[in-house]
Amino acid sequence: MLLVGDAGDFALAERSMVERLCADALTDEDRDVLSREGLLIDDGDPLGRVAYAYGVAERIGHAGALDYLILVPTLRCNLSCSYCQVSRVAERSTGFDWNEATLAAVLRLIDGLETERVKIEFQGGEPTLRPDLIRAVIDRCERIPIRQFVICTNLQRIDDDVLALFDRPDVFISTSLDGDAATHARQRTGDGATTDAFLANLRFVLDRYGPTKVSALPTVDPARLPDMDGLIDSYAAHGIDGVFLRPINYQGFARKRHAEVRELDAAWRYYHSAFVRRLIERNWEDRSRVLEETYFSICLRRVFQPGADRHVDLRDPNPVGVDYVVVDHDGRVYPTDEARMLTRSGVIDLAIGDVFDGWEAEARDRLNAHATNRFDPTCMGCAYQPFCGRDLVDDLSRYGRIDLPRHETEFCRRHLAMFDLVFELIYSADPAVRYSLARWLRLPGTPTKFGVRLS
Amino acid sequence: MIRLTLPAASDAEAPYVARLNTGRGGVDEADAALVDEDAEGVTYLGRHGVLAIDGASATELDRDVVIVDPVGGRAERILRRGSGHNTLLVTERCDQLCLMCSQPPKKTHVDRFALFEQACLLAESDSLIGVSGGEPTLYKDDLLGMLERVLAERPDLEFHVLTNGQFFDDDDVARLRDERYTRVSWGIPIYAADAALHDRIVGKDGALSRLEKSMAVLARAGARIELRTVLVADNADALPRLARYVAKRLRFIEVWSIMQLENIGFARARWASLFVEHARDFGPIGDAIDYAALHGIRAQLFNFPRCTVPEPWRDLARASISDWKRRYADACAPCRERDACSGFFEWHPIQQAEDGVTPL
Repeated sequence: MLLVGDAGDFALAERSMVERLCADALTDEDRDVLSREGLLIDDGDPLGRVAYAYGVAERIGHAGALDYLILVPTLRCNLSCSYCQVSRVAERSTGFDWNEATLAAVLRLIDGLETERVKIEFQGGEPTLRPDLIRAVIDRCERIPIRQFVICTNLQRIDDDVLALFDRPDVFISTSLDGDAATHARQRTGDGATTDAFLANLRFVLDRYGPTKVSALPTVDPARLPDMDGLIDSYAAHGIDGVFLRPINYQGFARKRHAEVRELDAAWRYYHSAFVRRLIERNWEDRSRVLEETYFSICLRRVFQPGADRHVDLRDPNPVGVDYVVVDHDGRVYPTDEARMLTRSGVIDLAIGDVFDGWEAEARDRLNAHATNRFDPTCMGCAYQPFCGRDLVDDLSRYGRIDLPRHETEFCRRHLAMFDLVFELIYSADPAVRYSLARWLRLPGTPTKFGVRLS
Repeated sequence: MIRLTLPAASDAEAPYVARLNTGRGGVDEADAALVDEDAEGVTYLGRHGVLAIDGASATELDRDVVIVDPVGGRAERILRRGSGHNTLLVTERCDQLCLMCSQPPKKTHVDRFALFEQACLLAESDSLIGVSGGEPTLYKDDLLGMLERVLAERPDLEFHVLTNGQFFDDDDVARLRDERYTRVSWGIPIYAADAALHDRIVGKDGALSRLEKSMAVLARAGARIELRTVLVADNADALPRLARYVAKRLRFIEVWSIMQLENIGFARARWASLFVEHARDFGPIGDAIDYAALHGIRAQLFNFPRCTVPEPWRDLARASISDWKRRYADACAPCRERDACSGFFEWHPIQQAEDGVTPL
């Protein structure tokens, strides 16, 4: 049985030891091994007590001052992807770009940031339709010492203005590659010529900047799961080793249309797990490169290396509207990009304010009082609690409420499955598994074991 | 090898601190200004009178901070300009007697805290100053007082203090929480997770238990800790277990330095029985590093020539040996990684060094 402490220490124990633990009948030897693993603090062990407190503190996510903005300078887009009906309008529409007042307000927001570092992600719509707005934002960040800009683009058209932005060392490119050309055409571009234009541009930016500056992620339709090797190959062929599998999240009206959504969620979980296992096989067969599924790696690192990632979708507590916000094309401010789309789809209005008058901290804080799994009765009985998180917006998008019993939510089912897989692999004796885990955990060598077994 | 102590003549009655200055860019009250230079050495004039130093040029010594000992007839280059390896040896007494001690302790103590304090106030901007011994915290109040006053006066300075961690107690928590201590890191040795083994290596019963008590104090104070483990034959195979101990109980450290042995002090006489040929079996060291890294503990290798470390761990090998006692083997001449490499201690067995390298 897996024993896990609040600080995330864990070990596999024989059932007999767990029985002695429950019966308050631990032997001295039991106490020694449990103390050594950080799972028990003996009286008269001040260091053990401090180590435990420190370990728990390390697990607590810290949302600092606002330093991460997701900006939507335009909602217009030159593509019409099947899964993106709510978050775009046609390229020739009017009234869906920031106007002068909106830009001025965004720049004022930037002037007010009080941090030494800033990350700004340009979303859309297709943000490269307005390189002038991107440039204005980037220029305004000059005074902030550490800057990172990510342009989330469909890479359909790269004109000189856009290229000049891409050429900046502080700009990174994020794009969508849904798999092989046929899948990509079906879900995104609609025809071969448009797909070819995208693939040529993807090749161009990868050749020009290398894979560290360019990331891509596939949106996967759980109702039509792509062939795994085909998907992996489409990334490997471009020299991109990290794949962040992103399922279409049926929400709002789409959710009502897909009555079988719960079955789709289960199919997705199965696919994800099989995908990770396939990557392990491929990494073992070809040692020259390390392929990884990004979300699995994030979860794996959360088990061993608290604080290694700043991934805002999985942390605890996970308050919204504090260290990052989304500014939409009309200047309205949302706590997350999901919240923006949810609002557009008409399910619920999750805007917390706008960029002109600011946002209401009180309503946000009322919501954030629940942004932790720490005191949730279901989570408190879960071995994975120290590694897991909370996502209020995901709950709202699926159920319109945040107070469902945790284990009845897809967030919980998904992460239970995820951490089941993580721990199954941690205790695997297969050298191929250990090899991939070590690489995903960024270790110099490959440990002979990742988890302790108590006897 | 750079000489740290030079013959010097001065008419002053007591030891004093001066900053040597060729005069370019102005002379300060605390400076001894250059008046003459010849083949023998250099002559300066300051508020303590004339100072003549032999065996170095004015250019070499420019802006060095020295402690002049008129009776002993010498000048110690306490803070050499441009060196990242300046260290104050605040006492030669120690309560432990480590098997491999590079600086075997003496019974007597010469209190020079006041001179060191004056020297630190003259330090180059933004320097990191080392404090070592003996055991500096045998004089904990003097030490902390000196650090606090210097750090208050000089917000640009940082200290790195080597201590065996045998003397911190609960009363120190509040004091060490002072903002100034964010500019102090503590280099603290631990040799094994097993108390009997650690205690035997440091030559003191109860040492690990007392160290744990100090570690709890330092953790509560938010102190910055560099953990140090010198590799000897006695603890090499116990390193993986130590790594588990560090990952479970000492997660609050900044970095864990695993250090190869220095052929000086006690280690010189016991070299054959202490030195571990890591190039022959890197296994337990690699396991320890991997286990630490798995749990987010950053490990680094000190005094490991880069070519002797297998490739996966090579980037953890630092150029750790102080400039004044570092050298390279003749065989190192063509190596491309020399600048990033520790090289060898000046006193490392020469044949062992020549035979052990393979230029990268």
